[in-house]
Amino acid sequence: MEFDFSPVVTYFPTLLKGVGVASLVALAVALMSIIGGLVVAVISIYTNKVVSWPLRFFIWLFMTTPLLLQLYFLYFGLGEWILIPAIVVGILGLGFHYMAYNADIFIATIKSVSDGQYEASRSLGFGHWKTIYYIIVPQALIRSIPQLGNNMILMVKDTSVLSAIGVAELVYASQYAISVSFRPFEFFIVIAIMYYVINILMELGQAWLERQTAYRR
Amino acid sequence: MDVDLMVEVTPLLIRAAWVTIDISSRAIFFGFFVACGLVFLQTFRFAPIRWFARGYISVIRGTPYFVQLLLVFYGGPSIGLRLDPITCGVFVGAFNIGAYMSEAIRGSIESVDSGQSEAARSLGFGKVQTMVSIVLPQAASLMIRSVGVLAIVLVKNSSLVSIISVVELTYQAQRLIGSTYKPLEIFTLSALMYIVIIYAVMGIIELAYRRAIRYTTQ
Repeated sequence: MEFDFSPVVTYFPTLLKGVGVASLVALAVALMSIIGGLVVAVISIYTNKVVSWPLRFFIWLFMTTPLLLQLYFLYFGLGEWILIPAIVVGILGLGFHYMAYNADIFIATIKSVSDGQYEASRSLGFGHWKTIYYIIVPQALIRSIPQLGNNMILMVKDTSVLSAIGVAELVYASQYAISVSFRPFEFFIVIAIMYYVINILMELGQAWLERQTAYRR
Repeated sequence: MDVDLMVEVTPLLIRAAWVTIDISSRAIFFGFFVACGLVFLQTFRFAPIRWFARGYISVIRGTPYFVQLLLVFYGGPSIGLRLDPITCGVFVGAFNIGAYMSEAIRGSIESVDSGQSEAARSLGFGKVQTMVSIVLPQAASLMIRSVGVLAIVLVKNSSLVSIISVVELTYQAQRLIGSTYKPLEIFTLSALMYIVIIYAVMGIIELAYRRAIRYTTQ
């Protein structure tokens, strides 16, 4: 049992490139899942059953099946129709998955904003959608921050799963280096450390954001 | 929808679903003991033992389950840890979910009002007896729900074991999609099976919860 971290040093630029791809994916997924989740939540609360029931069905479906299964479905399903790069499939797959989780949170927080807010705003002359946009959603957003932060931390960890469909993120980037150096333990330890550092930074960021917005909740 | 194909692959997927159930239930079982051990370690007066438990929980929760799985399966042999894929899946799953469960258990124990254990202690109950007959029965209902949620997370996470070539539900589904080019049919069937498994787990949790809630005061 002796360790040799020199291949890790040699291939460090490759790993960093993997971190870059993972960050890009995480950023795109964060945007897609938060904005999309909010839109889905608003639509499923404020429109009729014909629109909201299918949406709730998809939220439920995404939450009760494993991410990897969804990724495979999207990868092979989309692959039948059009040729799109794995990274796009990865962003879409992870994006839809966390969109469902975020929508679930938004539905709860939007409902937690008291009805008096809506009534007061309407009586002051705001329209239905303007009330939602200017009065309800901002309050719900602030209340969602703690759980939303948790979801995004989970999401960053889940970017590692995208290597299964060939997205060139951290784990995938190390595959070649591992296959030529025969040093899986060293590489995976370094990858784990990288994820751990990113995770701790995100937790600190989340705590800071929660402190900053605590007085508004 | 190709119904003939769906009928044809159902037995294959059911057999794979049993592997998922097998791996998950074993991982949940052992994971619970790991969790109890971690909670116990955190009650030690000797600080380094507490630090070890806190550090372990932090590291496990701070790194992806997927990377942990790859590290143990592919990296394990270089530190003398050779496991077959299924054992590796159960082992990593248990040690992963154990860290999350220990937090859930600790949270539910701490949620019991401290007056309860103080009252028990002043009535002459010993430390262990206070924990077993006063605190735990009251913590049980919350503990069952929060540990149950993690059991469901574990069932979904068990799909990642397919990466180290365990023929469980997701692995079988992926292989069938690859060979039949019918993603929708295969996905529908395998998603249905996951949903059945998850609802069964939810049912068990609900039954246990109803039984445990007797001890919580109204």
